[in-house]
Amino acid sequence: MISLTTLIITLLFSTIISYFLTRINKKIGTIFNFALISYSLYIVSNLKTGIQIKLFSITPGLENTLIVTELGKYFAIISFIVLSMVAFFNITWINKKVNFSAAFNAFYLFTSAGSLGVFFAKDMLTLYIFWEMAVLGSLLIVPMGREDAKKAAITYLAISSTGSYLYLYAALSLWNKYGTLTFDKIAYHLINESSVTYKWLIISFIVAAGIAKSGIFPLHTWLRTTLGKAPDTFSAVMSGQLEKLGAYIIVFALAVIPSLQLFRPIYSSVPSINYLLIILGNISIILGTFMAIRQNDMKMLMAYSSIANGGYILVGIATIDTIGFSGGLFHVFNHAIASAMIFLSFAAVIYRTNTSKIDEMGGLIWRMPLTFVTYLVGIISLAGIPPTSGFISKWMIFNVLVRKGMFVTAAIAFIGSVGSFLYVFRPLAGVFLGQLKKKHYDVKEVPVVMLIPMILLVFLTLFAGIIPGPILDKISAIETELGITPIEHTATIIKTPLGQWDTLTVFTMFTTGFIIAFILFVIFPKGKKVELTDQYTGAEFLHNYDLYHYATGFYRFIERLYDKHPSFEKLYGMLANFFKNVGEFVNAWVYKTSPGAYVFWVSVVILILFWVRW
Amino acid sequence: MTVLKVIAVLATGFFFGLTFEGIARKVIARIQRRYGPPWYQNFIDVFKALSKHGISHGWIFDFGILMALGGTIATLAFIPIGNLVAFPGLDNIFVITYLFAVGALGMAMGMVGSGNPNASVGVARALTQMLGYEIPYLVVISGVMYYYKTSSVSGLMTAQGDTWNLVKMPIGTLVAFISLLGMLGKKPFDTPIAPSEIASGPMVELSAKYMGLLMLMHTFSIFVEVALFVDIFLGQSNYFTFLLKFAIVWILATMISAVLPRFRIEQVVKFYWTVPLGLAFVQVLFVLLGLVF
Repeated sequence: MISLTTLIITLLFSTIISYFLTRINKKIGTIFNFALISYSLYIVSNLKTGIQIKLFSITPGLENTLIVTELGKYFAIISFIVLSMVAFFNITWINKKVNFSAAFNAFYLFTSAGSLGVFFAKDMLTLYIFWEMAVLGSLLIVPMGREDAKKAAITYLAISSTGSYLYLYAALSLWNKYGTLTFDKIAYHLINESSVTYKWLIISFIVAAGIAKSGIFPLHTWLRTTLGKAPDTFSAVMSGQLEKLGAYIIVFALAVIPSLQLFRPIYSSVPSINYLLIILGNISIILGTFMAIRQNDMKMLMAYSSIANGGYILVGIATIDTIGFSGGLFHVFNHAIASAMIFLSFAAVIYRTNTSKIDEMGGLIWRMPLTFVTYLVGIISLAGIPPTSGFISKWMIFNVLVRKGMFVTAAIAFIGSVGSFLYVFRPLAGVFLGQLKKKHYDVKEVPVVMLIPMILLVFLTLFAGIIPGPILDKISAIETELGITPIEHTATIIKTPLGQWDTLTVFTMFTTGFIIAFILFVIFPKGKKVELTDQYTGAEFLHNYDLYHYATGFYRFIERLYDKHPSFEKLYGMLANFFKNVGEFVNAWVYKTSPGAYVFWVSVVILILFWVRW
Repeated sequence: MTVLKVIAVLATGFFFGLTFEGIARKVIARIQRRYGPPWYQNFIDVFKALSKHGISHGWIFDFGILMALGGTIATLAFIPIGNLVAFPGLDNIFVITYLFAVGALGMAMGMVGSGNPNASVGVARALTQMLGYEIPYLVVISGVMYYYKTSSVSGLMTAQGDTWNLVKMPIGTLVAFISLLGMLGKKPFDTPIAPSEIASGPMVELSAKYMGLLMLMHTFSIFVEVALFVDIFLGQSNYFTFLLKFAIVWILATMISAVLPRFRIEQVVKFYWTVPLGLAFVQVLFVLLGLVF
């Protein structure tokens, strides 16, 4: 067993090895990546909590330390599950990547190392350093996607740095005021702080980093383009893993620095700042859901769905209630696994068809059945339908909202949940079902190496849905650590003050129902199998089967109701334009490349200096 | 014991579901001044359909039908029928609602898998309609759960004591009933089916045993939907009073639907999100303020 620091340093140094290995042979480099990341997963899941490791010290009192906590371990394990599965998928997928595959692999490891550091940081500076490493690594991978991905990377950078600079400002302000950056000391000082404004400022600035990273309104605009244009498998990592860094920061800002003790509760024992965050989460759910319904690009559709799910996680965590907090943390797991599954199946589809537009495909189920199964289980989990794990977290979040009497939030959560049926069904119908297009007649299922991680994730989400005990154990350990009442559960039964349910009974009944249906299906006369082109058409002849697939404008009738929606993207676009114009103005006047202008400005500066007598 | 109870629940769903559907056909016929089929006509229909050779559009079509029927049977088992409760304490409302979605998703997947655009349009409309009726319904149910501090359906039923929720929360009951009409796909909310526009939508490619199995699924779904309404709003009941209340609610819904024309799909959503959702919020506000009779 190697220690945590050794692991991080190994990961960092391996980026170089990975780079050169991939230069030599793409496959070997990617296998190396996979081996290293799954080894890290093994190490991380066997770490003992409470271990502290000093990294280095800049000035006395500012020591950069790592600490193993239950919370960090939970997030790290989820992250490395996603990272290792995607790395496995990459082994074959990398063949398709013509340019920069060596850099891709190197930055992939770099991002993993960065996020590992984030989850185990003990003070704000260490967290910031590793945070920026993770952002940098992912930032450099995004432009390797489609042609117009460079612009997406700039949006990503701009919004991500908005968050991280606000965070840095909070950290520096805390250092200035209390002379410490360690979490427990910050929490202690903040609880004894008398100025409410200062507490608001600090917590909201720290949370801003999390909001930017997990794509919560109003910092959500980067997700659509970045996830939509990034390299196909990296979208899975961004949605499944990197977004969870944001969730980690939010947990950390609300529970590790206990917002319950910092702020007065305003409604059913929810503190004021949490209430604000719940409102932001609500807006994200609505916005993500309705915009996802509109998308024709399946990756962008899932990007908006990530915004909605980020909203769920935020709502769950911000309630700071046993059930809600567990629901939020469980949803971190569910969304990580489900979105990884969905993005990987999309990557598989794009690997074979070279398009991500829903209406350019159809009937792929007949060529790629296992990819379809992955997508199907993925959306069942994402839409929160039993017996997958996705339902458990949604159930817990609904429970807490109802019990606390937060009916508007509950209504919005229901809209998000029912709306998710709508948008996940669109790729299902458009891409996988219906008539196969002529140009896709010779498409084949993806290679076995790509199928294995997808199927493993399918089993993982089913297992967690039937026996959620192991994950709930971890969550209750986190809650004990953070001083929240741990959730009451057994291996298959979850109890809340509103009632309980047994995952195993539901699963058994589900299987029974299926068996009854199957018996009925078998005993009655067999049907004749006909082609998908043999259809009821009201006695018309069909000439072009490609046109007979209904995928364009699938929900046009509902989209029409909100065609003229207000958009924050436009607002940010205006802001960007404004700064661009100011920049051009300054450029034209200040940086004019003529000696006269330089002399003029130098004399102005000297005059000012004389005037104020510095 | 549980097994026996599950069988009893399923048998009740099967027998009375089909019977009530037959009665409804008779009621509609009389409203339209026809004689109408006998009450057992639906039994004949189902068994006749099941005994024929039909056409299938491939494995996803078959699988969708299995998933639809299986999911609905699983949901039905969790429904308390008066004092007949197969899984006491585990009949959670959210579990029932979401388990129910398995059946809906299975049907949607199988029918779109048939490759007929009419089916896809029907399914898209059905999902949109779901977005309409579920929200006011769930808000009202949340209010009920908040008031009684339990989410178990049988718990809610017994908690009503001698005063029905119909009396305690009249606005909520009205909203739930309007949502129920949408759930049942009764006119004016039968947009997903719309035989004259999209050739019965999801059902367009169904024949023989596939049709028969989905008729069963439809019967079970109706049973689940109406039973939830009866359990939550119409007070405590035993097996027989439950069936009586069920019949009254079902025939009332049928009679209303027999005299109304059809909404367009966006009108459905607009309607649900204005009047019933507004009333639902008024109801939960009353619950929050303690204004419950």
